[in-house]
Amino acid sequence: MKALQKFGALVLALLRELADENAYQRHLAAHGRPHSGAEWRHFTEHRLRAKYARAKCC
Amino acid sequence: MKILAHLVWAAIAVLGAFCLGGIALNHAEPINSLWLVVAAACTYAVGFRFYAKFIAARVMALNDKRATPAERLRDGLDFEPTNKWILFGHHFAAIAGPGPLVGPVLAAQFGYLPGTLWIIIGAVLGGAVQDFVILFASMRRDGKSLGQIAREEVGTVGGFTALVTVLLIMIILLAVIALVVVNALKGSPWGTFTIAATMPIALWMGIYLRWIRPGKVLECSLMGVVLVIASIFGGQWVSESPTWGPWFTFGAMGLSIAVIVYGYFASALPVWLFLAPRDYLCTFIKLGVVLALGVGILFVRPELQLPAFTRFTDGTGPIFAGKIFPFCFITIACGAVSGFHALISSGTTPKMIARESHAYPVGYGSMLMESFVAIMAMIAACMLQPGVYFAVNSPAGVVGATPAAAVATISSWGFPVTAADMATLAKNVGEQTLFYRTGGAPSLALGMAAIFARGGGGDSVLGFWYHFAIMFEALFILTIIAAGTRVGRFMLVDLTAQFSKAAAKKLTGLVGVNVISLVVCAAWGYFLIQGVRDPLGGINSLWPLFGISNQLLASVALCVATTILLKMHGPKFMWITCVPLVWLVAACFTAGWQKIFAPEPNLGFLAHAAQLEQAMRANPSATTAALIFNDRLDAVVTGIFLILVATILVDSLRTWTGILRGTRESRIYEAPFVPSTLQPEEV
Repeated sequence: MKALQKFGALVLALLRELADENAYQRHLAAHGRPHSGAEWRHFTEHRLRAKYARAKCC
Repeated sequence: MKILAHLVWAAIAVLGAFCLGGIALNHAEPINSLWLVVAAACTYAVGFRFYAKFIAARVMALNDKRATPAERLRDGLDFEPTNKWILFGHHFAAIAGPGPLVGPVLAAQFGYLPGTLWIIIGAVLGGAVQDFVILFASMRRDGKSLGQIAREEVGTVGGFTALVTVLLIMIILLAVIALVVVNALKGSPWGTFTIAATMPIALWMGIYLRWIRPGKVLECSLMGVVLVIASIFGGQWVSESPTWGPWFTFGAMGLSIAVIVYGYFASALPVWLFLAPRDYLCTFIKLGVVLALGVGILFVRPELQLPAFTRFTDGTGPIFAGKIFPFCFITIACGAVSGFHALISSGTTPKMIARESHAYPVGYGSMLMESFVAIMAMIAACMLQPGVYFAVNSPAGVVGATPAAAVATISSWGFPVTAADMATLAKNVGEQTLFYRTGGAPSLALGMAAIFARGGGGDSVLGFWYHFAIMFEALFILTIIAAGTRVGRFMLVDLTAQFSKAAAKKLTGLVGVNVISLVVCAAWGYFLIQGVRDPLGGINSLWPLFGISNQLLASVALCVATTILLKMHGPKFMWITCVPLVWLVAACFTAGWQKIFAPEPNLGFLAHAAQLEQAMRANPSATTAALIFNDRLDAVVTGIFLILVATILVDSLRTWTGILRGTRESRIYEAPFVPSTLQPEEV
């Protein structure tokens, strides 16, 4: 059961990483700021600009 | 305990060899797909446990005491130590594109055996090695890109050439995958409606994420998945409606123009509004479908109906012309070796590796997973009746312009199929016709639908699953088109900056962005329209062009990798990257040469142009003149690819000879050693 829980947590963490939610939490922690709509928009400006300047795989 | 482990690994190796032997030697009757699954899984396991471990320990000397860029340059954004399994999933999601799904389906025209062997062996000895070594090289160089590493380790010529090569590859890639979508959706109101519906869904997701529930990406993506599935049901209703059906029924040319216009707007709109939400949606659906397909194949264990070899090993294939060597090896790129992966391995991933040893499962292991996706695609294609497979994939210019002519031609090849069979199949999946859908996507969708439908529901759910699979492939491809057009824009700016920084700056303004987006769309759009007009179906010329270019990019990556191994150890371990490099160079240059100069008109661009020229003398027409121009243009593009890579090869050989003779400095541009202070709970 514990192994299953651990696996579930890992899958959720992966999904959150793919969704940039983990990166956002790291951004908030690094800058010591609380979550807000404006902060999310500020984060995504930088994050998405960098993300979509790179080639996507075929 | 150690003896037991040795026995288990020996058993895995023997089982793998037995299954590989089984699929290679059994030509008499259809075989079960489980043979392919077990052969692949065992070979991957042995390759991962022994070959990759040898490279990790002896060649790279991965050292967990050395701080990675994620630790040293940690900024909470790009550089962040990440759990290895999360990074594995992240890297796999980044490298998994439509290539490993479409390539094997097209290569199945040779039969299941050549492609399957190349997917398994190519990945273990070539593709995974390339990804792993480039990931390692980038990790040891603060996460630098392939172009930057090439400039430092090989020379400035290599760096510049790599940039031009990637831009050209991007243009061909976007054109060919757009053609796959066009051929899948032409005359299909169900599919077209479903894909059209994903656009307002993505816009809604963008607004939701920006203003309504900022930051709730998973929640928003879940809503998106539900809406997309609802749109599949909506598509069925639309296709059956006499009023709405015609609104969503387009021919190939109409769809091509729609895709080009889409590419322009999708790349020019703010990323948060369209591209990013669509990409989130696409990533989750992609992972879900790959998982479901894997489970489905294990559950259903379909029999392969296509033979081990077909008669088209002689080079007369209807989908694309050319013999197994070299064309099987360039048609299946991403499932075995893909140059594009080197861009990902020197992109985000090296900046997120917590411990050096994690590069081993992430770099090598992810490629094995990708290779397994290609095996699943091969199974999905080969479980179709051969007659059906060829009826779906062969262009009208080869098999005849009417269903009666097409089935007569295909049956004469020894693959019996009737027009009634095809009509029933089309009806079952909710389509008007399945003939002439060259490109791989519809036949893959048919295979996937059959697997999912056998899981429950039978023929009654075949239409839903077929359109689910088409939606998945098209969503995936259209997201890459939007992102690729955008990246092409940045590359053009980079390239301009090499000559004039002031001109490059102008291109980043509002007018410049729009003009340059138009230029990129026009470039790949031209090749797309060329493919649609091509009487041989377009895939015959464009897919080999894409395959050659992608494998040439892999050659560039392997040149860089070889240079690094040479500088690290002298000639001792050069063979690790040299063996796949020599194979790829041989395959790509042979394919490139044949595509330009082969005397057979269905294979060589110049021969085809000469044949058309002769026909034009008798009956002059603007369409034929355009086809002649396109053939010559394709020959020039192929020639440019070969010249670009020959330049890098010569530059690399010069570097290698200099190092071996001691006339050239063999300095390695690695970041200096810094001891890691990362705690186990941080990894």
